[in-house]
Amino acid sequence: MLCAPSPAQAHGYLLRSIPDERATLERAPVRVQYWFSEGLEAEYSGVTVRDAAGTVIATGSVDPTNPTVMAARLPPNLPDGAYVVELRVAFASDGHVIFQSRVFFVGAAMANVAGVAASDLPVSLEIVWRALVLASSVLLFGVFALYSGVLLPAWGNPVYAAGGLPPRVMRRLSALVVVALVAAFAGNVLALLQQAMVFFNADLGRVIAQGLWGVVRAGTRFGDVWTGRMLLLALLALLFAASWRLRDQQPEIMRPTWAASAWIAALLLGTVSVSSHAAGALMLPWAAMLVNWTHTLGVGAWAGGVAALALVAPVALAAYTGEARRQALLAVLRRFSPLAVVALLVVVTTGVYSAAMWIRAPEQLATTYGGALVAKLAFVAILLGVGGLHFAALRPERFTRWSAPVARLRDFVPTLRLEALLVVVVLALTAVLSATPLPQPAFLDETIPPPSAAQTVGDWTAAVSVTPGEPGINSYDVVLTRGATGAAGQVVRVRVTDPMRDWRGEWLTAEDAGDGLYIATGDEMRRAGDWWMQVRVGDTQLAYAWTIQADPALAQAASPGIVNVLALAGVLVALGFAAYPRARRFYHRLDLRPATVTVALGALLATVGIVVAAMIGIQASQAQLETQISPPPAVVNTVLPDADSLARGAVLIEATCPAWRAGQASFDQFVQGLPRLRDEDVYRAVSEGWRELPPCETGLSASARWDIVNRVRAWEPVG
Amino acid sequence: MVSLLAHGALGAFDELIFVGVAVIFLVMMGISWIRSRSTPVQPPEATPATPTESAADDAHFPLE
Repeated sequence: MLCAPSPAQAHGYLLRSIPDERATLERAPVRVQYWFSEGLEAEYSGVTVRDAAGTVIATGSVDPTNPTVMAARLPPNLPDGAYVVELRVAFASDGHVIFQSRVFFVGAAMANVAGVAASDLPVSLEIVWRALVLASSVLLFGVFALYSGVLLPAWGNPVYAAGGLPPRVMRRLSALVVVALVAAFAGNVLALLQQAMVFFNADLGRVIAQGLWGVVRAGTRFGDVWTGRMLLLALLALLFAASWRLRDQQPEIMRPTWAASAWIAALLLGTVSVSSHAAGALMLPWAAMLVNWTHTLGVGAWAGGVAALALVAPVALAAYTGEARRQALLAVLRRFSPLAVVALLVVVTTGVYSAAMWIRAPEQLATTYGGALVAKLAFVAILLGVGGLHFAALRPERFTRWSAPVARLRDFVPTLRLEALLVVVVLALTAVLSATPLPQPAFLDETIPPPSAAQTVGDWTAAVSVTPGEPGINSYDVVLTRGATGAAGQVVRVRVTDPMRDWRGEWLTAEDAGDGLYIATGDEMRRAGDWWMQVRVGDTQLAYAWTIQADPALAQAASPGIVNVLALAGVLVALGFAAYPRARRFYHRLDLRPATVTVALGALLATVGIVVAAMIGIQASQAQLETQISPPPAVVNTVLPDADSLARGAVLIEATCPAWRAGQASFDQFVQGLPRLRDEDVYRAVSEGWRELPPCETGLSASARWDIVNRVRAWEPVG
Repeated sequence: MVSLLAHGALGAFDELIFVGVAVIFLVMMGISWIRSRSTPVQPPEATPATPTESAADDAHFPLE
């Protein structure tokens, strides 16, 4: 079962689709488009469109200019019927692959055709490798942190040059490191194999025999993170092997090497966060990843420390009995307890933040992810109970009411083992959670229609839509009809203008997609605000005004709620609490004489002032550069160049601009130069003339002048 | 920019930030290595590092 490639839903979401799921379309579409919440692996993602008979009618891939979009071009004039779109989506951040199918209908809906939703179950092999990688990383960090922060201060003995602890303890710690390293390497290898299996939809034998794992390692983002993790593991293994190999010749390097290894183990845990759910967070992704990393570090210090302590204590205390054994154990537990409390506080607050990020409504607890989360929390609660008993047992004078149960914990070792066992269960459940699809946020179900409008001039009607209708790359779809039928075979041009900046894009020739649909794509609408679009069909010009919203039409971000803000505040308080002892020590070491403080404050203010001044200067330079490239017009065209404006302009030119006639040399020269002139220049020409071309009559209103400008602009030659 | 690591939908500065974090941690590792090497194993009578650690220091038990 583990060797079968089993894709699952992943961290990413399908944000939007055109056509919508089960949409019934009057007109056959010329393409299908899907927007996702994060980038896709182009090599391993694709779209296949089938008709009701199962025949493949089109295939598509990831948009080369936008890795979050996947599209397929459909053949023209699809007959009425049902169509199934099969999506194979490989998310880049974590390599998760989903298969799902969606349906749309042309003509009329059919009840017996339905798509297949993506599975919301985790993949067995992924759970295994995630559990191995997570548990081994936690154990590595726990061992090194426990050694440096607890065992050495509590049990350190200068007699032992190699590591400061008796050889039997160092051997046990080393054994834990070896086991964790082997497990981590094995988990990472499994990760790559499983990833190759889902990417290539191949079984394990084929992945190994054909070397498909190498393709994934070298050519995907998952492979990048995998390589980084392997390098860190190799570094850890190298340092550990060197310290162990040289323990007799250079025993003094063992202690610093192990202390330094804790930092590598911390980075190793960071690679787990990089490929966790947090990497695909819709809300403050950087905060989510940092919080997740902090969470795993807390788990490493607490759970990893407990596990390491439970496995080391029996060996370390084997030489002691009675009160001496108890004193030795108390020495460690009194060191470990404050560390565990701080780590626990961090784990709880960061866990609440993460849970609140994904579970935004009570009904989401009924999902597979919600169930796994509840199960994990249940075991964490038991773990907290055992930890609480240990905490009380170490301070019997403060917990006299609990003296009876606490008295039973005098030996600690059995309950430490129980705690370590619970840690294993919790880590396994964490792996399940990490591999389980997240519940779909409700706000993603909201459909935001793209900006669209229709205009009729004469017997032409052009319905235009801007998709997705947000700043950036957009598709301009023009459905052209003449009378009641689609008008194919026309030359349709589209131009986007920014009236406030008096800027015009190039004329784009829209592609004839058949049945009267013409498609152009451009990135002219680079900011939110008002834009105009002109569409030309032969000599006929239609104009449209769009308001592009600052909020993205594709809802890729969630707004933090009060629970999220409070949870984040809790995380910061916990981190402050964790950092307090060091901060206090640092504060006491500070030289706080008035002169020193004054100089320091002065330097700080000067630095802040310089930074602020530099930022203001950079912004001013950018604004100046933008102004030089596209200076704001002295007068702004306020009249949309639609058919009415052009008609009014033609009448006005005839009546008030006698010299503005085709065939007149100066006017022809003026028209030839229009591509280089801005609207404000044309407006000035209307008012003041241009070179040899006299102005129009005085006394025209501003809107009348703009009508003339629009009419003149319509004569502009199209390249 | 040369892609060293990639992290999904986190923005254009992923590489810089992640490599920066790795560098910071490796530097901290070096500092930790040097400090640990120059600090002797704490003898039982050593002065506590902070007032809050006094209880723990009392409990120092040099393992044999």
